[in-house]
Amino acid sequence: MRVSYRWLGDFVDLDGLPPQEAANLLTMSGSKVESLLVIDLSAIVVGKVLEQRPHPSSRDPLWIHQVDLGAETRQIVAGAPNATPGTLVPVALPGTVVPSGKQVRDAKIAGEEGRGMMCSAAELLLGEDHSGIMLLAEGKPGQSLGELFPLDAVLDVEVTPNRPDCLGHMGIGRELAAVSGRPMKRDFMPPFIEGEDPPAVDLIKIAIEEPDLCTRFVGAPVTGLKVGPSPAWVQVRLRLAGVRPINNVVDATAYGMLEYGKPTHAFDLRRLRGGELRVRRARDGESLLCLDGQTRRLSPAMLVVADGAGPVAIGGTIGGEESAVQADTTDVLIESAGWNGVNIRGTSRALGLRTEASARHEKGLAPELALAGARRVTALVREWAGGTVHREWIDLYPRPQEPIRVHVTPEKIDALLGAHVPLTESRAILDRLGFQTRVQDDGDWDVMVPVFRLDVAIPEDVVEEVGRIYGVDRIPPTLPGRRHERWTPAPTTRPLETIRQVLAGAGFAEAVTPGLVSSALLEKLGLAERMRRLLNPMSEELDAMRTSLLPSLLQVARLNQNRGRPQVRLFEVARVYLARSQDPTGLADEPLALAALAHTGGAPAAGREGFLLLKAVTDRLAHALSLPLPAYERASDALFHPGRTAAVLLDGVRAGVLGELHPSLGADFDLDGRVVALQLDLETLLGAAKPRQVRPLPRFPAVQRDLAVVLPEGQPTAAVQAAIRDVAGSLLELVRAFDEYRSPELGEGVKSLAFALTFRSPERTLTDSEVDQLMDQTRRRLETEFKAKSR
Amino acid sequence: MTEFENTVAHGLERIAKATSDDDLERLRIEYLGRNSSISQTLSGLAAEPKEKRAEIGKAGNEAKQKIGAALEARAGELAATRMGKLAELEAIDVTFPAPPLDRGHIHVLNQVRSEVETILERLGYQVEEGPEIETDWYCFEALNLPKGHASRDLQETFFLAEDESIVLRTHTSSVQIRAMERLRTPPIFVIAPGRVYRRDNLDATHLPYFMQVEGLAVDEGLTVGDLKGTLLYLVQSLFGPERRVRMRPTYFPYTEPSFEFDTLCGRCGGAGCRSCGNQGWLETGGCGMVHPNVLRNGGLDPDQYTGFAWGFGIERMTLLKYDVEDLRLFYENDLRFNEQF
Ligand SMILES: [Zn+2]
Repeated sequence: MRVSYRWLGDFVDLDGLPPQEAANLLTMSGSKVESLLVIDLSAIVVGKVLEQRPHPSSRDPLWIHQVDLGAETRQIVAGAPNATPGTLVPVALPGTVVPSGKQVRDAKIAGEEGRGMMCSAAELLLGEDHSGIMLLAEGKPGQSLGELFPLDAVLDVEVTPNRPDCLGHMGIGRELAAVSGRPMKRDFMPPFIEGEDPPAVDLIKIAIEEPDLCTRFVGAPVTGLKVGPSPAWVQVRLRLAGVRPINNVVDATAYGMLEYGKPTHAFDLRRLRGGELRVRRARDGESLLCLDGQTRRLSPAMLVVADGAGPVAIGGTIGGEESAVQADTTDVLIESAGWNGVNIRGTSRALGLRTEASARHEKGLAPELALAGARRVTALVREWAGGTVHREWIDLYPRPQEPIRVHVTPEKIDALLGAHVPLTESRAILDRLGFQTRVQDDGDWDVMVPVFRLDVAIPEDVVEEVGRIYGVDRIPPTLPGRRHERWTPAPTTRPLETIRQVLAGAGFAEAVTPGLVSSALLEKLGLAERMRRLLNPMSEELDAMRTSLLPSLLQVARLNQNRGRPQVRLFEVARVYLARSQDPTGLADEPLALAALAHTGGAPAAGREGFLLLKAVTDRLAHALSLPLPAYERASDALFHPGRTAAVLLDGVRAGVLGELHPSLGADFDLDGRVVALQLDLETLLGAAKPRQVRPLPRFPAVQRDLAVVLPEGQPTAAVQAAIRDVAGSLLELVRAFDEYRSPELGEGVKSLAFALTFRSPERTLTDSEVDQLMDQTRRRLETEFKAKSR
Repeated sequence: MTEFENTVAHGLERIAKATSDDDLERLRIEYLGRNSSISQTLSGLAAEPKEKRAEIGKAGNEAKQKIGAALEARAGELAATRMGKLAELEAIDVTFPAPPLDRGHIHVLNQVRSEVETILERLGYQVEEGPEIETDWYCFEALNLPKGHASRDLQETFFLAEDESIVLRTHTSSVQIRAMERLRTPPIFVIAPGRVYRRDNLDATHLPYFMQVEGLAVDEGLTVGDLKGTLLYLVQSLFGPERRVRMRPTYFPYTEPSFEFDTLCGRCGGAGCRSCGNQGWLETGGCGMVHPNVLRNGGLDPDQYTGFAWGFGIERMTLLKYDVEDLRLFYENDLRFNEQF
């Protein structure tokens, strides 16, 4: 909402209250001023266009003007054709800076001299309109525009959706009056207008067919008026508020709306067919040529105002072109109606049309506003366009507005705010905002809410009114605390932080990627079985919830590779989203998952190295989270390499998969080299945690032995280690495979494995001979069980 | 006797001139070793007359002690000299760069989230979780946002394909009712960090997905002042004690009164600069006293309890902390960005 500072002066005394201070007061009381523009047009002069001709040689459409600036005539080139001879235009001379910031210079445009610039409204900060040159209502050539548009400031106020009363200068003025402690200069309800004969009902019949959707209809005819431009000062104010002036009647409706926040509409009374208006649902197949030149198809969900022949306006939204006020109009009907906000919003959405009127009506305006708006606009029409106002206006009011009273315990104000607001101050604040407070015998307050406020209904609302005007800054900050009688013990671990520390410690960078992914991608990867799709995605790229973190990490690896950073190590800890088999359309399972990825070189050995890295990470995770030692066994998974993939088992329960990704998957993501990945289900992982067992330090020395054996190629190391542990018994403290190699000397189809064994007794120092004996037994067992040859 | 004295005198002179530990070792062998003249004399004592043996023995041992002490003293002197010359003897080029440690990075959004959690846990808040695929009830209806409410338009919502009453939560406020239902009896002090979704077009200042932290406190007698103090504590802990908070009244359906809260611009200290769009303040989040209808929907009696709640975007907080200009960087994961944190 664009608010003119001077216009606010109609409602509240601005003496000693500069614009910046007014803006601060409004912001801190709930009407946020987004920007404050000082409108200083003293450097702009009025020009009268004498001559206009198209540019002879320019490729872009340009027009060359001779403009009378009083003391001289200048040639000015412009890109808009609307500055026809005889019009008055704002001109910025070379050397000046127009309010929007543009510096004006002498220029030659396609060979034609241009010595100044004719300005659009937007360039003068008078609204958004930059479609053409702004045409002035009055002025003398050479006169400073500052004389026509005195120094003002425009406050761009963000009005919250619960306060449509602040979508007008009166509402903002009232806020400013309340917060600055000044009285309001004007009453809410404009005075009654004595009308003349014939009574309104003789000029038009009106009926409401849908009283739930149209709660009130005030119709005021004015006859014998003369359409023309509205007074210059009115046009200035409309411009400042961002509205383009049209004529005195239409401008009166706009002016009334900008004061009261209540849109009204003026019909040409003589163009209404059949002498009647009916508020009804549109019929299938009906359409309306609207004021903006567009023809819109209507549906029965929409409310229209129809005359004897068909719709003449879309209720509360936009008027029809054929019944609009035109230059030859003499009789008008001012319509000011109450509309159901939800219905207006639906219409607005269905039509893809949001007007100044619908933007206000959709918030659900108080029906009481309808009469105030009608009185104000009718008075302005009579003042600016003349004519006769008729007596006995039509006022259909099928759903009268109930007054709102709120019972407030005054102690509640201090109790909720946490500050002491003196009762006299609270009452004064409410009074300035238009509330009436009656103190009951028991001391409680019976608060009557002003008719234009539909947002106040409960005591907390009243406390808010007091608090925001009293000043939130004046409330002292405190930390809450009382004696707690129950509590939840604090968690001693933050396992997700531990996981992040371990991965980061191992050289992996954490990625955070969106939960929204492409359904096509998940389908292609065979990950779509339990996928949940969106009804209204914004793009195909983000149309489903991910079921796996891997595709996202692969995309990150690709992005980094394409930006010159191959072979990244990444991880992410996040939820995945899986449809539930019981209730596939309701809530989903959202388990936490961990995925890590190491992008390596292309050699087979590089992949194996990456595999061992991720295995080390998994082992370290298990240690950090106090999990059982993970076991790994050959596994298969569609996304993984058939020969380089393991299941991760914790106490025999599968917690995830670790392996090289299938080469075709890397190719799908345009990744060079190999990719090794780890996927863990964190619920399983964290569920396996056990209290940490601490062993005492050993008192006797250990004996170290190495064992190298040649084994058949396919023999898994884990089984050999298990056999070693079995033979060597309790004196074997640790066995660890530390080397695997193949060579021609060893022969075809075999590999050599080397193990490091640590023997120790908790009770004595072991002798060499007893360890030698255990080593012999171990070798023999491996020979018989695995056809191993000792080396 | 004079023989010993001569040997000692000579020896002390040579020891004083020794310049290295090697020299001293050679001298030790020469004067105190098995073949030294003193040792030889002492081992030949048996041949001496009985009455002289004690005297010679004593003199010989004294000579050994003197030599030994001199050797030790000289070794000490040499060591002290070496210590004094360490810089010449053992200097390295300290400007030679270190090879980087092979360590990764925790994503900055999770660093900030974790900081927020830690700060609030000190005030007794516990972390509460809720689903991202959420029912209309928890996301809107129970938060005083009935169907057709004007504010539903403010929050552009993603719906799930199969059922329009299932949505992607647009805010972590959806956890409020769940927390009240789970914990049942105040005091309830919870924070709910997590991902949320809105149909905003992706650009430098908007994302269709982002992270929020919701805070909810319900107890007897909580006030706007308590809300203010809590936000101030959080902001000062995150950004520094000089960062003030201001609360501006606004409208949310689920709080009454409602406020937006701003943080004093860290770059200009409130004077106004480019960072804060000349406002001196940076918009940070929304907050307010929990609406009685919301307490009621959570099964609590609004006549007995009051509550306050706040919410803000983690991306926004991170922006305030690190002056990042483009929100998309957080989700792109170009490691040249991620590794700066
Ligand atoms: Zn600043």
